Amino acid sequence: MSVQDYLDKHMLSRKLEDAVNAAVRAKTSDPVLFISNHMRKAVQSVITKIKARQILDSRGIPTVEVDLHTNKGVFRASVPSGNSTSMYEAVELRDGDKGVYLGNGVAKAVKNINDKISEALIGMDPTLQSQIDQAMIDLDKTEKKGELGANAILAVSIAACKAGAAEKEVPLYKHIADLSGKTSPTLPVPAFTVISGGKHAGSNLAIQEIMILPIGASKFEEALRMGTETYHHLKAVITEKYGAHNCNVGEDGGFAPNISSFREALDLVKEAISRTGYNEKIKIALDVAATNFCIGKRYDLDFQSPQKSGQNFKSAEDMIELFKELCSEYPIVSIEDPFDREDWEHIKHISSLGICQVVGDDLLMSNAKRIERAITESACNALLLKVNQVGTVTEVIEVVKLAKEAHWGVVTSHRCGETIDSFIADLSVGLASGVIKAGAPCRGERLEKYNQLLRIEEELGDQAVYASEDWRQ
Amino acid sequence: MATIKAVKARQIFDSRGNPTVEVDVILSDGTFHRAAVPSGASTGVYEALELRDGGSDYLGKGVLKAVENVNSIIAPALLGKDPTKQTEIDNFMVQQLDGTVNEWGWCKQKLGANAILAVSLAVCKAGAAVKKIPLYKHIANLAGNKTLVLPVPSFNVINGGSHAGNKLAMQEFMILPVGASSFKEAMKMGVEVYHHLKAVIKKKYGQDATNVGDEGGFAPNIQENKEGLELLKTAIAKAGYTGKVVIGMDVAASEFYDNKDKTYDLNFKEENNDGSQKISGDSLKNVYKSYVTDYPIVSIEDPFDQDDWEHYAKLTAEVGQQVQIVGDDLLVTNPKRVEKAIKEKACNALLLKVNQIGSVTESIEAVRMSKQAGWGVMASHRSGETEDTFIADLSVGLATGQIKTGAPCRSERLAKYNQLLRIEEELGSAAVYAGAKFRAPVEPY
Repeated sequence: MSVQDYLDKHMLSRKLEDAVNAAVRAKTSDPVLFISNHMRKAVQSVITKIKARQILDSRGIPTVEVDLHTNKGVFRASVPSGNSTSMYEAVELRDGDKGVYLGNGVAKAVKNINDKISEALIGMDPTLQSQIDQAMIDLDKTEKKGELGANAILAVSIAACKAGAAEKEVPLYKHIADLSGKTSPTLPVPAFTVISGGKHAGSNLAIQEIMILPIGASKFEEALRMGTETYHHLKAVITEKYGAHNCNVGEDGGFAPNISSFREALDLVKEAISRTGYNEKIKIALDVAATNFCIGKRYDLDFQSPQKSGQNFKSAEDMIELFKELCSEYPIVSIEDPFDREDWEHIKHISSLGICQVVGDDLLMSNAKRIERAITESACNALLLKVNQVGTVTEVIEVVKLAKEAHWGVVTSHRCGETIDSFIADLSVGLASGVIKAGAPCRGERLEKYNQLLRIEEELGDQAVYASEDWRQ
Repeated sequence: MATIKAVKARQIFDSRGNPTVEVDVILSDGTFHRAAVPSGASTGVYEALELRDGGSDYLGKGVLKAVENVNSIIAPALLGKDPTKQTEIDNFMVQQLDGTVNEWGWCKQKLGANAILAVSLAVCKAGAAVKKIPLYKHIANLAGNKTLVLPVPSFNVINGGSHAGNKLAMQEFMILPVGASSFKEAMKMGVEVYHHLKAVIKKKYGQDATNVGDEGGFAPNIQENKEGLELLKTAIAKAGYTGKVVIGMDVAASEFYDNKDKTYDLNFKEENNDGSQKISGDSLKNVYKSYVTDYPIVSIEDPFDQDDWEHYAKLTAEVGQQVQIVGDDLLVTNPKRVEKAIKEKACNALLLKVNQIGSVTESIEAVRMSKQAGWGVMASHRSGETEDTFIADLSVGLATGQIKTGAPCRSERLAKYNQLLRIEEELGSAAVYAGAKFRAPVEPY
């Protein structure tokens, strides 16, 4: 090949001339650097390397982290993990060797990425999210991603999504919005966990979380301020009533004072809100996680208590009466998982009452089939979205569309085992989910999501829209 | 050669939900490099000043003034500068832009140590990127250190003192996997002991004792300090790591020192405290010696009040060969106090907290002084942290030999440990873990 043929084949002279002209137009102080960057951007990126490793999540439990390389850079993702996994959600692959990390290692999932997934995806265009996700699903061949591990697949899917955004030179949330077809980026109302119970903390409280939603804030920054101030006041209230010993926190940063009554917990929250002066601007949400304390057809409100009185078994009808009372006495706007995941009858009943948003978490497990059934049966009216229950970004977008087309609310959610990956913050903005549940304004893995939302709001500037009163749409 | 094109600060939140400063340094090549600063719960009287807004917003802890100082004073002054010139930039910010001095050195009172440090850290990251080398390598070069070492992690697993609501006077009990062959193995050991400890505590004290404090440690309702050591011994044995995982303590004795009668009150957290458990410095020294005899303790931090130089020197003279005596509140990473402590042989290890001294350059100088004196160095987090992993790279680059960054719980702690896993992976066969040599992993530089 002659020099001229080489130049012609790659249109090298033309490309270099374009770059030089761009540098001249820009009057840049460092034209060589400018030209170098310009030429780099002109190259279509493909995935050149995928490398996974085992790191530790916020509970000191192994999880998968991936570095996905393109010629635009390296894009990193790590995956969350929950306590309460079920038969309907994507399967997380754990090594099971009790002598290593007490059986929780993810060396197999890591190997699946470094060997099989890497080989399958190298050369692909990172902007083609659905093709990348489908390639991994095809490679796995199982319905719930059990062969390669949903933890392996999701880590790569998220890393590819980040790479795709960089390739298009748009922020991640914008890329996600584009992938979903049509949404206007919206800063979500944060649902801050302030009191933890159930499986997420060591206390006698049966319900899993009490959250506060600063619906009356005018922007996300103000919402975060309301949340942090209320949280600190709550700590003071708990210290006054129960002593400083009760101010340690659960897995998602909520306080876990040694109380057992719903009302007692709600009164603490109410008092804290009162001290901030934000009374009408902050509402309350509950995550009951009733599946954890359902025995047969009854609900054991003392399931976390070492001294069971046997007096706190409730029927589903009793529970409905309790929820009605609580919703009339406190500014509760949302209840998640009020009943066992298979108690469709009573979930439908409470939704039909229209007393608040009813969020399906364990009921739905972000599973498209269960969402369809819940829509058909009007079983609930909001989806709790957990990305690791679905397993790929593409499928996450599909289930959100499904929920939104049914005019449901969507709450983008963390898991109790998180890392500092802030993907769900961009996801909640890009999909305009309206609400994000990422834990307390405490613990670095929770704050990192909220901090990312601050950065996004700053970046959007005048274009920033906070969900505020429209949080359910 | 890329130069600083813009510097932009914002207020974000640390792991306790308190405001802190985050800075982006944007270079002329289009890249940006971000850093956020940590903050302590128990700040020493001699450390660099952290600027808080006061007032009612964020319960007085806002940092909007510090953010403004970065955006309106520091940012314009740094435009066009070369980020690889760390010392030049740090000295410019500390001595010229701020310029405030007290008897212990540059105190950063005008702009705020939180403002200056955030920029210093971000510039350091930018400098590494410009040189196209890892951050830890850049830090090693800045210090003149030729040997990179993965530090022994000192996991904070039991909390007392001002960090917890129980009756424990002593602030932290830590486990150090000195017998691991690599950092990766040290993490495995630490994590497994932590989970066994959680099970032991749950069984003995109930499930409410398994909630965690600011740094991820447990705060069981322990009645006396020795009980904490027994719990650790049990958990280490259950994990199968006796002899490989040893114990460190951070007493933070300044918290329970009575300056009037020069006594230490081990019962200071009791509400109706009658002072019956007050003891002299000599008695407290003997308590430590008995612990060292009975348990595999290799490190004691802040055994006495920050101005009780006399008893520090006594303890160091008596057990310093066998046990590292770490100065935190005593030194506050301040070169003049380090110099005094070296001269008086008051302790034999420095606890390095970058926000106490306020810049990368000064941090390196404090470490260099310590190492030249034959001291150990433990790089440390603060109780309010973010996901910024700078201290992980710092501990490798300066070959501190040790890092204290909390329990293997809470991701602002795990982020540092995870970064060390990545560094060790990146170094491959060249990786060296400090192990049993954690007190002096390299020759002084």
